Amino acid sequence: MSRLILKDVESGYGPMQILWGIDLTVNESETVILLGANSAGKTTLLRTIIGLLPCTGGSILFEGEPIHNLPPDQRIRRGIAYMSELGVFPGLTIEENIRLGGYFLSGAEVRRRSTRLYELFPALANKRREQAASLSGGQRKMLGIAKVLVSEPKLLLMDEPSSGLAPVFVKQVVDVLKYAITGGMTLLIAEQNIAFLSLADRGYLLEGGQVKHSGTRAELESSDVVREAYFGL
Amino acid sequence: MALLEYAIIGGILYGIFFSLVAIGLNLIFGVMRIINLAHGQFVMLGGFGAYLVTSSLGLNPIFGVPLAVLGGIAIGYPLYYGVVPRLQRSRDPEMLSFILFFGVAQMIEAVMTLLFGVDERSLPGEALGSGNFGVLGQQFPDSWWVAVAVSLLCIGGLWLYFSRTRLGYATRAIIANREEALATGINVNRVSAIAFIIGLSLAGIAGVFVPYLVGSISPSDGSDLTTTSFAIIIIGSLGNPLGTVVGGLVFGVGTMLMQTFYPSWSNLVPYVLLVLIVLVRPSGLLGKAVRNA
Repeated sequence: MSRLILKDVESGYGPMQILWGIDLTVNESETVILLGANSAGKTTLLRTIIGLLPCTGGSILFEGEPIHNLPPDQRIRRGIAYMSELGVFPGLTIEENIRLGGYFLSGAEVRRRSTRLYELFPALANKRREQAASLSGGQRKMLGIAKVLVSEPKLLLMDEPSSGLAPVFVKQVVDVLKYAITGGMTLLIAEQNIAFLSLADRGYLLEGGQVKHSGTRAELESSDVVREAYFGL
Repeated sequence: MALLEYAIIGGILYGIFFSLVAIGLNLIFGVMRIINLAHGQFVMLGGFGAYLVTSSLGLNPIFGVPLAVLGGIAIGYPLYYGVVPRLQRSRDPEMLSFILFFGVAQMIEAVMTLLFGVDERSLPGEALGSGNFGVLGQQFPDSWWVAVAVSLLCIGGLWLYFSRTRLGYATRAIIANREEALATGINVNRVSAIAFIIGLSLAGIAGVFVPYLVGSISPSDGSDLTTTSFAIIIIGSLGNPLGTVVGGLVFGVGTMLMQTFYPSWSNLVPYVLLVLIVLVRPSGLLGKAVRNA
């Protein structure tokens, strides 16, 4: 069953159009990766899906219902979560960041879910009253993931989770996402780091705000377009 | 030496009160990035609310405090939804808000002048206590201590709101990064509306005590109160509501020192401090840059 369907989506910043007729589908419990260079439109696409940018053309359906006219908080209440490149509020404590990740949940429910998340991220548990600004880049990324997982989203959108991380931390992020995927989570990940292709069931290659290529992981790995873009072959 | 002690203790009291006068302006700027140039007029409305409570209803002016909160809700809610979302969709909300709230300030002042005239109004001095209370041998009127107690309660309440409530976390999140707050699922419009109402209510509450700390209130006092509030929040840290207290204390002690030793120069204090801070440390004493423009 399709969890997210984009039909002919157009978007951009004010008069500057960035996305041109994007068609994309993410099925339940599937991990889909958006590949593309800088300025390909990956972030714009995720921001349009979550509602930070207007969908100026086409439609976005979540679980069969159009959501492209809803404000971001309504989309998030329906079960979509978005982890931006920044991902956290550095001036707030770890506990407060996680609390905000479940903003629409009751306090008791957030506490219950936080307990589980602290088991998954023990490094955060020990620092829960410290400001997120005191965390290392890798720990901040883990906090960003914990913050979006607290809402137990039906669809998680992630923007460049490897951005700014040393390779050792990238591996940690990949391992955490593998754990989430094993639990049946549906993911749409925008990435430049080809390491994340190993997580994906399918993928799309964006170029100039358009889908240049799409296919299963195996198809993408063997695709000349992707090999040329990512492996310089 | 006794004069210096008097100036410093009095300055701390004065500064705590003026932190309350200014804190609503900083809250509104921090959350919405709009400049409420009518802030002083809302303080003035609070003063006239207390005046009406006393002169028309024969009640203690302290009842002006709940009236200020009701006024903050009654004015803040429609004003926020009528104006702020439109401002924030504009290309330059800061500049547009500057112009728009200048108009609002002029309207409030004109209406209040029509209703009450241009005369200064004062409140019964004994209503908040007729004696003095001393610290380290320095005596200050009971009304000052009441004003400081209410100021500390309001500032402490705001701190608790920020640090202990879900809405408070959300407000801080919006101050830190509005877009990230939207992406987290916070209903930014609703949280901002609440912050706007709190900002106006705090201004109104401060206004109740202005006649005691400043001597009187008149419809034309709003502009001076706005200017002083601006100086205080820039000295503290623009966009950081609790940083207002630092600005308030610097302003209060500076003003009282000047009033004690060079009284004819004391009105210059907020402006001199403002210029110095902008030149030496433009992000305020608390130091974190919060705006680009």
